[in-house]
Order: sequence, then C-alpha cells, then structure tokens
Amino acid sequence: MKLKKHLLAIAVTAVALAAPGAAFAQNKVNLGVAIPAATHSFTAGIVWWANEAKKELEKANPDLKVTIKTAANAGEQANQLQDLATANKINALVIFPFESAALTKPVAQVKGKGVYVTVVDRGLTDTSAQDAYVSGDNTAFGKVPAEYIAKTLDGKGNIVALRGIATTLDNERMDAFNGVMKAYPDIKLLDAKYANWNRDDAFKVMQDYLTRFKQIDAVWAADDDMAIGVLKAIEQAKRDDIKIVFGGAGAKGMIKTLIDAKDPRIQANVSYSPKFIYDAIKMTAEARLKGEALPATTIIPSVLITKDNAKEFYFPDSPF
Amino acid sequence: MSIAVRFDGIVKEFGPVRVLHGVSFDLAPGRVYGLLGENGAGKSTLMKILSGYERPTGGTLHIDGEPRSFKSSRDAEAAGIVLIHQEFNLAEDLTITQNIFLGHERKRGWWLDEAAMRADTLRVLRQVGLDKDPDTPVRHLIVAEKQLVEIAKALARNARLLIMDEPTASLTPGETEALFTLMARLQADGVTIVYISHKLDEVERTTDDVIVMRDGRFVTRQPTRELTRHQMATLMVGREISDLYPDKDPAPTGAVPLLRVEGLTVPGWAADIAFDVKPGEILGFAGLVGAGRTELFEGLLGLRPHQVGRIELEGRAIRIRNPRDAVDQGITYLSEDRKGKGLHVGFGLRENLTLMALETYATPWLKPGAETRALKTAVQDFGIRTGSLDVKAASLSGGNQQKLALAKVLHPEPKVVILDEPTRGVDVGAKRDIYFLIQRLAREGRGVVVVSSELMELVGLCHRVAVMRGGRLRAMVDAQHLTEEELISHATGTNQRDQANGDKPSEEESMTAGR
Amino acid sequence: MVDRQLDQPAPPRFQRARSLGSRLHAVGPILGLVLLCVAGTLLNPDFASLDNAMNVLTRTAFIGIIAVGMCFVIISGGIDLSVGSMAALIAGMVILLMNTLAGSIDQPVLVVAIGMAASVVLGGVFGLAHGLLITRGRIEPFIVTLGTLGIFRAYLTYFSNGGAITLDDTLSDVYSPVYYTSVIGVPIPVWVFLIVAVAGALILNRTAYGRYVQAIGSNEQVARYAAVNVDRIKVMTYALLGACVGIATLLYVPRLGSSSPTTGLLWELEAIAAVIVGGTALKGGSGSIIGTVIGAVLLSVISNILNLTSVISVYLNAAVQGFVIIIVAFLQRRK
Repeated sequence: MKLKKHLLAIAVTAVALAAPGAAFAQNKVNLGVAIPAATHSFTAGIVWWANEAKKELEKANPDLKVTIKTAANAGEQANQLQDLATANKINALVIFPFESAALTKPVAQVKGKGVYVTVVDRGLTDTSAQDAYVSGDNTAFGKVPAEYIAKTLDGKGNIVALRGIATTLDNERMDAFNGVMKAYPDIKLLDAKYANWNRDDAFKVMQDYLTRFKQIDAVWAADDDMAIGVLKAIEQAKRDDIKIVFGGAGAKGMIKTLIDAKDPRIQANVSYSPKFIYDAIKMTAEARLKGEALPATTIIPSVLITKDNAKEFYFPDSPF
Repeated sequence: MSIAVRFDGIVKEFGPVRVLHGVSFDLAPGRVYGLLGENGAGKSTLMKILSGYERPTGGTLHIDGEPRSFKSSRDAEAAGIVLIHQEFNLAEDLTITQNIFLGHERKRGWWLDEAAMRADTLRVLRQVGLDKDPDTPVRHLIVAEKQLVEIAKALARNARLLIMDEPTASLTPGETEALFTLMARLQADGVTIVYISHKLDEVERTTDDVIVMRDGRFVTRQPTRELTRHQMATLMVGREISDLYPDKDPAPTGAVPLLRVEGLTVPGWAADIAFDVKPGEILGFAGLVGAGRTELFEGLLGLRPHQVGRIELEGRAIRIRNPRDAVDQGITYLSEDRKGKGLHVGFGLRENLTLMALETYATPWLKPGAETRALKTAVQDFGIRTGSLDVKAASLSGGNQQKLALAKVLHPEPKVVILDEPTRGVDVGAKRDIYFLIQRLAREGRGVVVVSSELMELVGLCHRVAVMRGGRLRAMVDAQHLTEEELISHATGTNQRDQANGDKPSEEESMTAGR
Repeated sequence: MVDRQLDQPAPPRFQRARSLGSRLHAVGPILGLVLLCVAGTLLNPDFASLDNAMNVLTRTAFIGIIAVGMCFVIISGGIDLSVGSMAALIAGMVILLMNTLAGSIDQPVLVVAIGMAASVVLGGVFGLAHGLLITRGRIEPFIVTLGTLGIFRAYLTYFSNGGAITLDDTLSDVYSPVYYTSVIGVPIPVWVFLIVAVAGALILNRTAYGRYVQAIGSNEQVARYAAVNVDRIKVMTYALLGACVGIATLLYVPRLGSSSPTTGLLWELEAIAAVIVGGTALKGGSGSIIGTVIGAVLLSVISNILNLTSVISVYLNAAVQGFVIIIVAFLQRRK
C-alpha cells in the first residue's frame, strides 16, 4: 500500500552526496524525533504513533536509539533541535515541523552538523535543508472525496464544504476538491466556510448552512472532528435531504461508524493517518542502519476508505 | 521682574452653569494676597484661568497691561505664572531633577544635559531651603518636601507670580513656619504670591491684602491689617456668622466608659496606647502629622496589623478583627482620606449612605424605596445641599461630600464614632454645621472621638484632648487646661512637665495629669 | 442648621443633560444589536426566522451564562482568563465520571443527574480555589487564572491522551434532550440562560452582595473602610463565576457528547468581550447584566450573519467581528 515516488534525479544525487557513510552496514543510529505536542486529536495521534515506532524499532535493533521531543510552538521546537544536535548527539533526525518557514534555518543548521534529516508532512521552504521528505497526500485528500461525492450524486446536486484553518495545507485540499468539481457543472458548491477543524465551530457553521440552504445533498466536512459537529447539527434540524457527510483523515471513531454501518450518511472516508510519522521513523531508521539514503520524496497516499477496506485503517489503541 | 495682573469682567461657564459672573480686580506686583472664599465661591476657577488651565468664557485678562489669553498652563508658565496645586503634580517615580525639568528638559544636541539640569536643581533647592540630593525619587519625600519641590519647580521656570492652593493643609507647624519664611523671601525677590487658604490665622499672618470672593463674584479687597479674622469670615459668608462652635456641655462624669482601650500597639506607628470615652463625651486626639493618630485608629478597627491588650465596650470585653466586627459592636470610623477611603465618588448618594448598614435593607432583596427615604432623611438631618437625590457623590462640593461621609458612618447608629479630620477641606459654614452635629451626637449619649490637626477646633469642641507624639500618648488635657499653646507644647515635646519627666512621661502620669 | 446658599450644587438643567448622555451610552449595545439585525435581515431573510433566532440564542447560551458570572468578577475589579479551559476540563471530568458511574448504577437518568450536579459543584470548587489564591494568596487575578488556564487544559489533554473524551451512547441518548429539547418553543439552554441572567441582574442590583461587588470594584479601600468583608465577597464572586461555568458546561456536554483539547478555546475572550461590549468597564466598579446579555448575543449574531451570507470573503470574517466590536464600543463609550 506504500507507493514510493522517485522525483527529480538531481535531488537523489544530492542525497547520495550528503550520505557519505553509504558503504558501511549496520551503523549505530541515534535518531532524534521532533514533533508537535498532543494538543488535538491529530497531533495526539502523531505522538502515539511516534512512540509506537520507538518501542518496536528499539526492540528490533540494538544499535538504534530513538529520542522523541514534543513542542508546543515553533520556537520551542527550534530549541529542541539544538538540544538534540548538541546534547543528544543525534546523527539522524525525523521532524514534523511546526511551521515551514520558521524551522527551515534551524533544520539546516542541524543538517550542517552532518545529521541525516527526514522532514515529515510540512515541507521546508528551502528543500536543501532536508535529505528526505515524507508527506501525506493533501491533493488526494481533496480529490478523493470530490470524486466520491460526484460519483455518488451522479454528477448533480448541491453541496456545502467546511474548511479548516487558513493554511497552505487547507488551500491545497480545497483546490484539489474544486479541480475535480470543475468537471461536474451540475454540482453546485454552495459555500465553503472555515470551522477551524473544531467540532463546536463546525456545529455552528452547519446550523447556519441549514438555515440558509433548503436543499443540501452532500457535505464535505473535510475532517472527522468537523464531521461530528455537522452530524449533530443535521440531527437537531431534523433534515433528511443530506445524503452524504464526508469527513476526512480516518479518525478511529469515524472508521468504527463506517465498519458498523451506524450512519447511512457515512459511507466513505479518506485516509490521512498520523501513522505516516511511524512510517517515516521506520524508513529513516532502517535505511540509516544500513547506511542507505531515502528517496528524496515519499508520498504516503491518501486513499478512499469504504466499508470494504476500513479494517486496515482501524487502530483502536491510537487516540486518533 | 514683577508682574501686574488685571482681571476685567471675567466670566466662566461650565455648560449652562455660570461659576464666575464678571470678576474684575487687580493684583499689584510684589505683594502677597490672601484669596478667601467658601467652597464654590469661584476662587479656584479664577486662578485656573490665570494659570492657563481654564479659558474664560468672557472678559479679558491683562498681564502687565497687555490683554493675554493663555492656551495652556505652559503658556502661562512662559509668562511667569505658576499654580501649585493642592494635590501635587509630581511624578512619584521620577527624581527631583527629572520632575523640576519635566517637559522643559535641557538638551545638548540630541542628548539630555543632565549636568546642567542637576546644577540648576541644586540652585533652586538651596533657594527653597531643601537639603536633598537632586537624584532622590520624589516618592521618598515627605509631603512638606514635595511642596518645596513644587515651589522649586516654579522657581526653576522663573515664576514671577506664584499661586498656592491650601499649601499648609498637610504641613506640621514647623514646616508651615519654614514655608512662611520662604514666602517672605520670595516676596523680597519681587515675586507676587496669591495665597488660597481656609486658615484665617495664616492669612492674617502672611498676607498684605485680602481679596474675598463669594458666589462667583468679587466682594472686596482690603489691607489685611485692617481686618479681623471674624470680619474675614463674615465677608466670606456674606452675613454675620454667630459663634463657630456650639456652647460646650459640661463633661460627663461618673459614668462607666462607653469604650475603653488598653495596650493598643500598631507596629511602626503607635505603642501601648490606652484611652477611654464616656457616653456623651467628645474626646479629641491632637498631634503633629506622623504622630500616629490615624494609624492608631486604623489599627483599632483591624485595618492595620496591631496588638491590643483589651477593648471594652460598655464594660464587656470585645474583639475587633475587621471593620465589620467594629460596626457590629457599634463603633464606626470616618477616614481622613475622603476620596481614597471615605466615599465612593462614582456612586450615587443613596449607595454611599447605606453601604455600612446595607444588611438592614436586605431581606434578602434590597429596597431602593427604603434607601431613598433614608437618603431624604439624611439630606435633611445633615444639611447636605444637592439639586437632586439622583446624582453621584462626585458632583457634591467638598463640604457636602464630607457631610455625606458623616451621614454614612453614622447610618449604622454607632455607639462610638471616631471622626478623623472631620472638617478637612470644608469651608467655614460647613465646618460650623459639622461642629453642631458633633455636639448633637454627644448629646444623644454617643461617645465621639475627634482626630484633628486644627488645634482650634479641638479646643473649641472637646471635653478632653489626648496628645500623641512619636507614636505615644504624651498627655491627656482636660477642659480647664485646654488651650492651643498647651496642646502644641505636648505635641512638639516642649511642655515643661514633659521635659521634667525626661521627655518620657509614663502614660499613667500624663493621663492622670489630664484628669 | 443654618440656612445659607453655599456649596451650590449644579443646577438641574445640567444634571439632565448629563443623564441624557449616560442614557445614550446605555443603549449603545442595543442600538448596535438592532442595526446588526436589520443588516442581517437585508442580507438574508432567513436571518429573521424563528429557527435561526433560536439557533443563535442557544449557541449564545454557553458564553452568555459564563459572561453573566464574568460580569460580577469584572465589576469587582478582577478577571478570569481560565473559563474556557475550566469548561473543557469540567466537561471531560464529568463525562469520565458518568461513564464510570454507568458501570455500577443502572439508571442512566440518575447518572446524568449526578453528572449535572457534579458539573456545577466542580465549577464552584475551581472558582473557590481562584478566589482563595487571589485573596489569601494575594496573587493578581490575571496571573492566577492565566496559570489555571494552562493547568486546566493540560489536565484535560492528559485525561484524554490528546484525543476526545466521549460520553457513552446510552447516556448520550438520555442526556442530549437537555440541549436539544424545546419548552414552549424555546430550547432549554435559552431558558437556562434567561434564568441565569435574571438571577444575575437581581443579585447584582438588588442584594447587599451585589452592591458590595460594585463597591469593591469602584474603590476597594473605601469598601474596606466601610466594613465590607472584601476578601469574602471576592471569593464568592469567583465561586459564582465557577458555578456559571459549571452550568454552561452541563448544557454543553449533551450537544456533542464529548470534550477535547479544543473545547472551549478562546471562550474566555468571548465572555470578557461580551461583558465589555455590554458596557461594563474593564477596570470595574459598575456594569450591567442586561448589557452583558446583549453583548453576548451581539457577538454570536455577527458570526451568524457572516455564515448566512457570502458577500464578504471568508478571509475577512475576523476583521468584520473586530470592526463591529469597535463600533459598538464607540457607541457606548463614556464621555
């Protein structure tokens, strides 16, 4: 299920140059992991999956040491990078940057000390500061639900969308969604408002959509937390015109609903699992132990989740 | 360098209210004028116009024969006219030098010329006789020193006409003397001084001419030596005033003390104080500023950390941990600091009046009707003059605010009432009202304690006066021996008897001496 | 007393002019709300529908109830920055409590009732702790509640492992009518909001406690000298706000049946804004419950109108809210 895409040959060459230790097998690897603190369920998932990776990998590889640092803001994360490089003396780093621009310089400094750097999810503004890039697929995150909704509605109907917080990530998803919908002129996107990936805000926005639009066929809630608020608002208004509520990211509660077929409006989801931090740590550790480099860019694809494949995405122990 | 001022038909209106009705008179250069008038007579407004804080609605101000209109106090300062406010205009955290040059900093290029400013400050401080490092923060100065800094500030700006509003209100007799000496020196240097005060004895001593204003109008200007204090008061009030003080009732005898306090110590302020008050008695507390009188009673009420041996009310021991306990026992206290501790100036009259006895109106809902009735009664009883019952306390004049504050502390119907500076900042008429009120309270069988810096009023009012100095009770003077001189001698430590006892008479001795 | 005409008070005409000015300032928030409603109706006729009105009022209920308590704290001269975190933590703890009790008590209604009571008690206890730290501990309220703002939310995050704490389905079914049911066409949260507001107004204006709160905020020294037990009144004020947060939370829990680290984010600012927009001075001393209620409604009407139209770019929503708040503050400014 992991699709690895090799991009630009130049990037690969750069990686090869930056990894002179390629000749030795079974190096000692001291891996630092810098991730955001668990302030909402997605980041909580990140923290959980990172710790899972540490547990499994350290058990399997005696030569591997993993140090995890969680930060509440970009500044703290930058400080942690310095600590990891100087105090923990890491030789490989997996970082989920808080912000792209703010952390580019600090990461570059770490790399300058000869540390192998894998960046996860949010790309740095200067890609030369990283050795490898592992990311979720934000384009597919918008494209998959658009295609699903368009198909299920037979290319005709009214839809509303909710957006997260104004970020490039959110824009990428929205653009991908709109890109698909261009091919379906009979589907009308009535409005797309920000609800901050927050249940309460989604509840309010949906209430007002319901007041405003008398016929809605589908809702792209764009996030499983927001989908919960949307469902509650629909329930309260006792509206039965909405046929699809499409969340996103595959939170365990929503996947469970899907498996149990508890809600007819929830028939599909799109994966964007915090598990990619697990994958990134695992790939980096295993490659570095063998002295190899990672491909410059690895995209963990976002795929359509339906009842048929839902079990693969259900992790009841993860907080997400 | 002197300056001649002529007011020509000055009119001032605040909205629809006219407070100056065409005031005309001159101030000749180099003289000291006493400006008299009751609260609300318009003297402060006129002086604010002269010093650029207000602009006249009509009329002209002539300075040295030229019509002038000051746009700001800075403008007036440039012309050599400086007003020293009753509440000082000093930035507490800045040093003396910084205050003196605030807004007029000397510069050399882009940088402040600290050396020059410091040197000038030293010069003006010497002139006013203040021996302090110019780099001392003003916060560390006592009131009298702040006053001198204000005057030094005026001198540094080449003041030719100095207006002083109640300059001695917070000064001790010694400091007051020093101020008078300084005023004489300034006059000799050709500075014109306008001296605003309610203290007629001071006006009599220090001024060349007296100017009297009443109800926003100029009344008269006469050489001071041609007037008696009584005549001054009569001119201010506008008609003959009868005696300021009520006839004294005989001191109550034999009765069990209403309140008896033993061994009261307020660390840093008062040590081992004992006194008692009988029903119907007016007990005075005299002393210089800083003698610890206010702090003593704040300690008694639990407003400051304190230790106390024993407090008895009507013969039984009581405990006072906070003002609430005191009120519940029947003891209330009027603070000397009306705006800071006495009244909620932003509140209505009703809310102020009932605050200390609010529980009696709550069952559990407050009854605004009952509160308003209480206010009506209080307005009548205490002679509070107000256009409407529905105004904020801030809109009352000083004297009426004081009456409201009195009404407030008397509202819980206390057995003992402690009045700290009950006539501070009020005019003659209101003072008289308050004196008669105090006598009425005593006649009703209450114990009244009056703390005052005005010795005259203690002498005129009290049955006994306790004198404090340096945190100790030095003497208890009874009615027969009650004179200003006696009180001053105890308060300053120059009393023969005190000296004979090595300046440390035991409390017992001085108490018995008083009885 | 001697009959004289001294100390002349300002004549009545002047007084009247001033009271007209103060009346204008009192109607500022109402004026703002009316103008907003007119604008909302013009932009989308559905705005004026009963359903929408009820939606807005129900939403406002949480912030509104908290704002009523906040009004007391602000009038007393204090502040509480922790209310959003406190609500989130109370919600989380109450849900955990109910889920646990459901295992041993077989009556979901009883479990929910216990949960609701616990919500108010917890709020009161948290508020009491604030009050004691502020009065006995002599720490600035800003600092105390800034501290607990972090503490409350961190504990919720800890209890939930960063995810959501969710109420059991059976309990949720029993509990959700508390949010979703209407009585005489008005949803329960709106009724509760109304009751809290009326009670708040009565307590503030018609009890000795309310008068003391104003006296302390207006000038704490004067109040102390007037035999007001300042510390006790302050503690009660924070406890009252805590209880209000508890009431808001017991209405919030049945809405989504969950609490997560994002629950109640920035509620403290909304509640404080509602109080201030409603005409209460941040420095304390005086204020109005009715104004606070109007302020709270006004704030949620703004976002409601923005959701009901597409005239304004979504990127500018926050700007519109900012402009409206400033304009209303301008309308009700003191002379």
